[in-house]
Amino acid sequence: MKSLKWLATASVLALSVCAAPAFADVSIEDIVNDAKTTNDVVTAGLGGQAQRYSPLKSVNKDNVGGLVPAWAMSLGGEKMRGQESQPLVKDGVMYITGSYSRIWAIDVKTGRELWQYDHRLPEGILPCCDVVNRGAALVGKTVVFGTLDAKLVSLDQKTGKVVWTKEIDDFKGGYSYTASPLIVPSKAHGPLIVTGVSGGEFGIVGRVEARKAETGDLVWSRPTIEGHVGTLNGKPSTMTGDKVNASWPGDLWKTGGGATWLGGTYDSDTNLIFMGTGNPAPWNSHMRPGDNKWSCSRIALDPETGDIKWGYQTTPNDGWDFDGVNEVVAFDADGKKLAATADRNGFFYVLDRTNGKYVNATPFVEKITWAKEIGKDGRPVYNADNRPGDPKGSKDGKKGTEVFAIPSFLGGKNQQPMAYSPDTKLFYVPANEWGMNIHNEPVTYKKGAAYLGAGFTIKPTFEDHIGALKAIDPATGKIVWQNNNKAPLWGGVLTTGGGLVFYGTPEGELKAVDDATGKELWSFNTGSGVVAPPITWEQDGEQMVTVISGWGGAVPLWGGEVAKTVANLNQGGMVWTFKLPKKVAAK
Amino acid sequence: MLRILAAALLGLVPAHLVYAETAADPLQSPVWNDLARKTFGDAAVVFDGRVKVTVPAIVENQAQVPVSADARGLANVERLIVLTDLNPIQHVLTITPAQSKAEAYISFRLKIEQATPVRAAALTSDGVWHVGGVFLEAAGGGCSSPAMARGDADWTATLGNAQGKVWRQADGTARLRLRVRHPMDTGLAKDNTPAFFIEKFDVKGASGDPLATVEMFEPVAEDPTITLSIKPAASDASINIDGRDNNGNIYRSVVPAPWNQSALTTTSGH
Repeated sequence: MKSLKWLATASVLALSVCAAPAFADVSIEDIVNDAKTTNDVVTAGLGGQAQRYSPLKSVNKDNVGGLVPAWAMSLGGEKMRGQESQPLVKDGVMYITGSYSRIWAIDVKTGRELWQYDHRLPEGILPCCDVVNRGAALVGKTVVFGTLDAKLVSLDQKTGKVVWTKEIDDFKGGYSYTASPLIVPSKAHGPLIVTGVSGGEFGIVGRVEARKAETGDLVWSRPTIEGHVGTLNGKPSTMTGDKVNASWPGDLWKTGGGATWLGGTYDSDTNLIFMGTGNPAPWNSHMRPGDNKWSCSRIALDPETGDIKWGYQTTPNDGWDFDGVNEVVAFDADGKKLAATADRNGFFYVLDRTNGKYVNATPFVEKITWAKEIGKDGRPVYNADNRPGDPKGSKDGKKGTEVFAIPSFLGGKNQQPMAYSPDTKLFYVPANEWGMNIHNEPVTYKKGAAYLGAGFTIKPTFEDHIGALKAIDPATGKIVWQNNNKAPLWGGVLTTGGGLVFYGTPEGELKAVDDATGKELWSFNTGSGVVAPPITWEQDGEQMVTVISGWGGAVPLWGGEVAKTVANLNQGGMVWTFKLPKKVAAK
Repeated sequence: MLRILAAALLGLVPAHLVYAETAADPLQSPVWNDLARKTFGDAAVVFDGRVKVTVPAIVENQAQVPVSADARGLANVERLIVLTDLNPIQHVLTITPAQSKAEAYISFRLKIEQATPVRAAALTSDGVWHVGGVFLEAAGGGCSSPAMARGDADWTATLGNAQGKVWRQADGTARLRLRVRHPMDTGLAKDNTPAFFIEKFDVKGASGDPLATVEMFEPVAEDPTITLSIKPAASDASINIDGRDNNGNIYRSVVPAPWNQSALTTTSGH
């Protein structure tokens, strides 16, 4: 009896081994060509250029209304906070990250967990804007993600066991890590893992770092603030900027901010890494007259050395917390190599991605107050009276003149990534219409303490909506259509060859709309707010769509008046995967 | 079942079916057959009084129960493992001497969730597992209580700090004792702390020659404190211990190994 039972168990085991996913290495070619391969998603942004466009069209305008869930998986535990992660898919396995520095591998056919790794976080972590993570990176046999205690962890794709762990910096100093790491090729060092740092509200100095994918050993480091010297192969390399203090007064450059908290994109056409940099510190701009380079900027880096090839500053001498971190999306138009970025400051910029030269910029949110326009030289034309006042000018020296500025510090667009369709030649930007009351206060720097020097509260610009998904023509800046949403949009966008634009809302819906008109064609309530970007890929001949649902992020923490629009949204943590039933797909 | 067991012992059934059918468990554990099958597969298993487990008569702290596992009475031990039948995580640790450079012996501290058999199993070079054990009476909760570190404002400040000492013995062996600060979270506490534990110590001579490897799991008590009997070269001025936890943190300790008695020495690093 006993031996029979044992034999039966053994045969079940053998069966599941046969059906188990086959793990193959994720090569640098897989990564560079990700936008062209539809049977996997191995990069953040569905390709290094981060267009978030998939040519797949078996799900299209005609049949998307029939989309149904294939499976859902709970992220479990009591750690349901904001889920901002973009999933990755390779060889039938999905890799996702979640709140509180957790990562999973899931069988895409069944939705069953293959393994889970929970990083042991210290109690004293200092994340500014919820305990989020925006996704992992695949390279070789490993999957890499960053943690809230500012570590980079490389795990075996097959087992979930840690291969190596590297400390990016000391979490006690305000550092953390929430972006998806970027994998780029290099001739001299092989595949590199490129990361930034979070901690912009704690007086850190932003930097970009590249590590060898196999070992995690540091290859180069590039500080974002003028005057700081980078490293290459363990030795000092070049200084950021031409000279110390060219655009900073006194010693403030030493704690100058410029956090690279949203990671970057990579363009194989120009072989450049595009990184965005955050606000200068402290918030009070009167303490630091000058442009404060390279805060609130986009910088293009050479993967071999980490040297800055070009920089473009969206908000010189920022006084409103208009981080310049938003993603740079490469695209081509009229034979030109361009890049676009929708800034926190409310302007949509088009740049020449070969040299960073300004092409055009147009407002993508309404009623912008802080600048009249972006001038022909690419610099904002400021409204001087909309800059929060210097506290030194006030009677008691404790509070500068308050102003109401649009957009708010959470930005015309925040971390939620936009998409570009080469079919419609439109960008789809998840925008928010809101402003803020803001004033400056005196502040001094203390390690690990918030270094703001400002008071602020957010107010919606309109009564009926904050969020607005906008289809923007990059040639003219014209908004071709827009879909308003009551709560702020905080998830990302996906567009497809099937003529669809997918995006999620804090109210919990994942929507599919017509890429030409914005007309809603499908909607599904995921049960909690969606603040993460959807993906699509083809599995065994079927087009799949996945999004992670789970309300959270910066809005409920910093939202002021806006918090009312999201007060009844509950937290969650669920991976939803959709497909067409076979008979609908066949139509 | 008893009849089959007896038949197996008499050699009346094919040898390959004997694997899960060890002799009657002297500790009468309800899970022994399953545990043995999971742990030993189809290898031969015998209960053997020469494998000794020592535990205190009274457990004062179920999160720190001193345990010794000793199979020095056997020759040619290739591996020694410690199992707890009724703990939620049964496999506690494994010590693998490097080519007889360590004896089949380990002392350490254990977390227990309830009263349970505590066993040691020694694999000899003929492929047979020799199992000995005792029943440990105790109140429960040692695996599901948060680590003491949880109440510490900043346990990361002392993470990986180590203390160690080596006592050279007249017979050429040396006693190594090492303590490394680490929460050793089981992942089972209701405060939601994930599993976080040192999973390996590689014990080496000063020249890097391996002496023993200790693999550990969640039931090893917080701030693991282990005692080994190793056989370093006479020329080894120190014993180097490379540790690694399941989060990938690396802990390196260097313990001086002089011929005369040394003062307690503190090393640290992670």
